[in-house]
Amino acid sequence: MIYLDNAATTPLSENAAKEFVKYSCSDFFNPSATYVQAVEIKNKLSEVRENLKNLLGARKGDIVFTGGATEANNLAILGSAREGKWEYIFSAGEHASVIELAHALEKEGKTISIIPLQKTGEIDYVALEKALTPKTRLVSVMFVNNVTGAINDIARVSRIMRKKSPTALLHVDGVQAFGKLEFSLDRLDVDLFSISAHKFHGPKGVGALYVKNKAALKNIVFGGGQEFGVRSGTENVAGIMAMNEAANEMKPRQNFEKVSNLKGIFMKELESVKGIRFVGENTSPYILLMIFSGINGETLVRVLENEVVVGRGSACSSKKSGNHVLEAMGIRLEDIKGAVRASFDPMQAEEEILKAARIIKERYLELLERLK
Amino acid sequence: MKKIVLLRLGELFLKGENRYVFENVLLTNIRRKLSGLNFKIERTQGRVLVTSFDNEDEIVERLSKVFGLTSLSVADEVEASVEALEKYFEKYTDVVGAFKVDVNRADKRFPVTSMEMAARLGGVILDNNKDAFVELYRPQHIYKVDIRQNGKAYVFDKVIKGQGGLPLGTSGRALLLLSGGIDSPVAGYIMAKRGLKLEALHFHSYPYTSPEAKQKVLTLAKKLTPYVDEIKVHCISFTKVQETIHANCSPEFMITIMRRIMMRIAERLCLTNNLGAIVTGESLGQVASQTMQSMTVTENVVESLPVFRPCIGMDKEDIVKIAKEIDTFETSILPYEDCCTVFLPKNPVIKPKLAKAEQEERNLDIEALIAEAMAGEEVVDIKF
Repeated sequence: MIYLDNAATTPLSENAAKEFVKYSCSDFFNPSATYVQAVEIKNKLSEVRENLKNLLGARKGDIVFTGGATEANNLAILGSAREGKWEYIFSAGEHASVIELAHALEKEGKTISIIPLQKTGEIDYVALEKALTPKTRLVSVMFVNNVTGAINDIARVSRIMRKKSPTALLHVDGVQAFGKLEFSLDRLDVDLFSISAHKFHGPKGVGALYVKNKAALKNIVFGGGQEFGVRSGTENVAGIMAMNEAANEMKPRQNFEKVSNLKGIFMKELESVKGIRFVGENTSPYILLMIFSGINGETLVRVLENEVVVGRGSACSSKKSGNHVLEAMGIRLEDIKGAVRASFDPMQAEEEILKAARIIKERYLELLERLK
Repeated sequence: MKKIVLLRLGELFLKGENRYVFENVLLTNIRRKLSGLNFKIERTQGRVLVTSFDNEDEIVERLSKVFGLTSLSVADEVEASVEALEKYFEKYTDVVGAFKVDVNRADKRFPVTSMEMAARLGGVILDNNKDAFVELYRPQHIYKVDIRQNGKAYVFDKVIKGQGGLPLGTSGRALLLLSGGIDSPVAGYIMAKRGLKLEALHFHSYPYTSPEAKQKVLTLAKKLTPYVDEIKVHCISFTKVQETIHANCSPEFMITIMRRIMMRIAERLCLTNNLGAIVTGESLGQVASQTMQSMTVTENVVESLPVFRPCIGMDKEDIVKIAKEIDTFETSILPYEDCCTVFLPKNPVIKPKLAKAEQEERNLDIEALIAEAMAGEEVVDIKF
């Protein structure tokens, strides 16, 4: 079985697993306790915060550990939402953990703008500029789209924002970017940034929110006041230590080249097949969204599952019939049905990727034949 | 205080000579249903009691789902003496409104008559409850006292509704076509209530339908087991059949022919598994394949068995109401496509003609398709 659903989740790295066991079994102390063993754990967590900031290219600010990116996104947005007549801006391509929250805020009476996507899958920067006002409190735009791999120009987003709404906060869902693209949060001028460990060979159920100015963020969970009072609850020490180990193993620059090469090989094998087309421009080399005409993508996923594992764009929303990201890009419903996502890992071998592409081609053509 | 459960057997008393057969089946069913729990069953003078149990809630829950019981009551076992019963009745201290005490004296040696005993016990209640008064014809509360010959009396004040119907198995065995929708589990429940023991047949269309769709059907079967005890689910892949019909027949006849083949497979499974009827969840006019004409054409292939359609005259609301009562509704509405929704033509024929369906089928090697589908049968045993 060749696994090409790395944007959905990745296997835990061996070293990360060792850290997980170490901090679960022998160094298991509660970092909030006062004895020396616990203080050592607390210090470890501080080291991880510094290390993650370093990897994110942020000198200032703090890291708040969370139970994954959905929680980090919720904390960033809900924690920034203020009483009064503030406005909030989201892109139409955001992950369900953002877009569903946007709809919930709207129901509560907040003023929400949804920025449309271009045909390429990137956000419409002109529309963003128009939507910004001095009352804008927060803008949430994802770095790399999880369905299409489209990369948004975050530096451009923050430039536009600082000009038109200098007091607004910029939140970036960086789940598909961290450890994969090279960037510096300081240079991008981002206020809030979410990451998720299991997307880069860390464990599931742990993530983090980078917060440039924690004074601007209110807690949404009440309790013992851990994580600067922003996220109460005993820290998932083992998960955090394992996430840190996995983050250290990511080599964005070298991997970018490797995975670009893999995606190129994969696309070359499929580009000439009638009925298959690729979605998006300027996309991440880690993600490729394809549209297979004449079939249901879900059926193809199942036909392939014993040989090649591919996804449908978003595991979180695979239960729903449509796909809000593709709809926002103006793709027809009939084509959305045939969408299948392949997502790569730099450690995969070229032959493996080529073989996967050939199997996909063969199974697709067979399926078309069966449905004729 | 020792507790017992008093069981009331329903319609089976009407069955004359067969009564004992029905009663024996019912008791066997009850024993099976309660297996794993501590209990004893006593049959005395036309009454069936469950005694010696420790988990009252579970016993009552399970018994309330046994077909053939109209109602049951949890009773306290009290020593059969005037003093003990009067003492027992002192526990009622929050009676408000109209009440009645009903005494039945099976033991005629008991020194006080039923009427007198009822009056004495009623007096105890009146003494302890300022807002209670006796009302023999329309009481709000009835306290029943059953004085037995074994020196015990049973006292209860609540009647729990049972399922009614006939004991499972007394009407034979049948095959339920279980699709994953709302209607078919309800159809199975209704027929099981009339004493039919069930096996189920499910058609899936992997890879066009997801494994979750099949899992959903197994979950539905599991949800039926509190009523039907156990159910064997025959899972058959319908993919090849559908692809072949799709390739060779007119699209508007897709569903008609699919259903004719399903019925043929169902009948063959019945014959090899000693099942005497086919049960479906069809409801007249609900969809194109459930018109009178469609049913005529699909049923035409069944040669030797009756097809039971207990939902035929029911509105969707009524079916949903039962589905909610038997707790299959939430599972049925999970959004997985079943095999009827793949290859769905835009305009299925609503009033198919038998001759036309037969003509369409000449494009297919029906026997080969059936044999291939049945060869891939997978059987899952679902137990309570």
